[in-house]
Amino acid sequence: MNRTNHYDFLGYVAFAIIILLGVPFLLGFDGFELNTFARYLALAMVAMALALSWGTAGLLNLGQAATFGIGSYVMAMHLKLAASTGNPGGMPDFMGWTNVEALPWFWQPFQSLSVTLLAGLLLPAAVAGLMAIFMFRGRITGVFVAIITLAFMVALQLVFIEEQRFTGGQNGLTGLAPLELPGWTVDTYSLPFYYLVAGCLIVALLVGMLVVRSKVGLVLRAIREDAARLRYLGYDVAAYETFVFCLSAAIAGWAGMLYTLVLEFASPTYMSVSFSLAIVIWCAVGGRESLVWASVGAILVNLAEGRLSDMFVEGWLLILGLLFIFFVIFLPRGLYGLAVAAMDRLRRSPRTEPPVPVKEG
Amino acid sequence: MTVLDIQNLTVQFGGLKAVNGLNLQVQQGELRCLLGPNGAGKSTTLDLICGKTRATSGRILFDGADITNLAEYRRARHGIGRKFQVPSVFKELTVIENIEIARSRRPGLLAALTTFRTPLRGRVKEVLDRVALTDHIDSKAGNLSHGQTQWLEIAMLLAQDSKLILMDEPTAGMTIQETLKTAEIFNSLRGEHTIIVVEHDMQFVRQVAQRVTVMNQGSVLAEGTIAEIEADARVKAVYLGH
Repeated sequence: MNRTNHYDFLGYVAFAIIILLGVPFLLGFDGFELNTFARYLALAMVAMALALSWGTAGLLNLGQAATFGIGSYVMAMHLKLAASTGNPGGMPDFMGWTNVEALPWFWQPFQSLSVTLLAGLLLPAAVAGLMAIFMFRGRITGVFVAIITLAFMVALQLVFIEEQRFTGGQNGLTGLAPLELPGWTVDTYSLPFYYLVAGCLIVALLVGMLVVRSKVGLVLRAIREDAARLRYLGYDVAAYETFVFCLSAAIAGWAGMLYTLVLEFASPTYMSVSFSLAIVIWCAVGGRESLVWASVGAILVNLAEGRLSDMFVEGWLLILGLLFIFFVIFLPRGLYGLAVAAMDRLRRSPRTEPPVPVKEG
Repeated sequence: MTVLDIQNLTVQFGGLKAVNGLNLQVQQGELRCLLGPNGAGKSTTLDLICGKTRATSGRILFDGADITNLAEYRRARHGIGRKFQVPSVFKELTVIENIEIARSRRPGLLAALTTFRTPLRGRVKEVLDRVALTDHIDSKAGNLSHGQTQWLEIAMLLAQDSKLILMDEPTAGMTIQETLKTAEIFNSLRGEHTIIVVEHDMQFVRQVAQRVTVMNQGSVLAEGTIAEIEADARVKAVYLGH
């Protein structure tokens, strides 16, 4: 395990260097290209959040996009309000069209930047936490977790589409103002913005890795294997599961906030089934056991999509599906598994000893 | 001092009373063997003590506290450890990680968040030395031999350091030498720990047991030293039929 940890850390450092130095250089510091890549990094963050709960504890949250969507709407609400200061009552334009009388109470707190940033992390965590308490106190595991989270997301997306007066409905929230940070009006086609997103991803990865490498990570891996046994060792399994679910949701919400910044709008499609399943595919391609590799998976698949969907407008989803099937069948541990196998071979080749020494006791 | 006091304990599965009005007292530091024919309720009794099964009626007092309705992880925190019939180590974790998991003095989330690798020294090293697994700490538990897996599980019990240890057929599938070594470890544990063992291997029982409780149809049939039990007519009747 210590050895694996060592590689994980090296992988993390290499990833950070590539993201911070390699990518901007390769893209020629071009604003448009950097913005596109920043989008991939935001998606890498939500993939990493999924890997945190799915890869370590085996809790597949098929509704990961719900918490991502909440984060993105939180940010969009703040920016929409900033863009609406000239309107009567400071109300967003779509509320005027649908005869809303005054700014609803649940929109008002988002006028404040700090409330917005906190809410983008805490609101998704609270929503996931509530779900987690009901599920995990009831000892629900495996495929049922996937079904419940998926159903919740579908319901949440419906609410956002149906409540057009308050959420902009199918159109989402568009016409947003640029983000005003203290002393910096964020230009999303600039190098500093790229570094903001990249920095967030690197910090989120670090937080995730610290958790995975602490005893919590060990307990979570043990939960994946035998939750009942852990209870007889004195661990409150539901508390650990709820914690990782909340942390994963908070990071997904964080990613959602960044995603709104990159694309300059929020849409109910961010909470769609297809988007949520895409996150699962990225994780599977990269390798759900490693946070860094899950991020890499998200970046690679989205890069491929960026290049290939121009050529195969209709066929891209088919290609994505085939890719997923290929990985599930031939590389169930994803690119991470491939990397581990390669490292093992490299390490073993100089000596010719049997793979695992097993001595009879 | 009575450390475990089971009073009139009953559990009903449908129409079957697996444990029926059981009364059992175990003293601090004692090593108690539970014997009985198949279906006598021995394993169910262990399940009731560790919380795997909830009692229909009756009370379980442990260390003066009523634990009858506590969740299993809370009982574990009170100091009750359980070894199951099927070796249950975490196969995907390495040997040392299994020990780390078992060393659960502080099983809370906050403590775990601030704990990183446990070094191989102190209690961890002592326990691993004792079961001769020190050379295998980085092996996955799934790659150990059957005997080693048994030892790992016993090492986990030692690392957990429970006041009361419940064991279900600890020597099942062991060779004669392994059984002897297990008996040796058990004998060194008594006094400090209280142990309840369900076991069929009479050879082993003779080596370790001070007092033996024989169960039949969910209640206590006889209790006493091994010699008394072997001379008991009712016990013979249950085992031999008629």
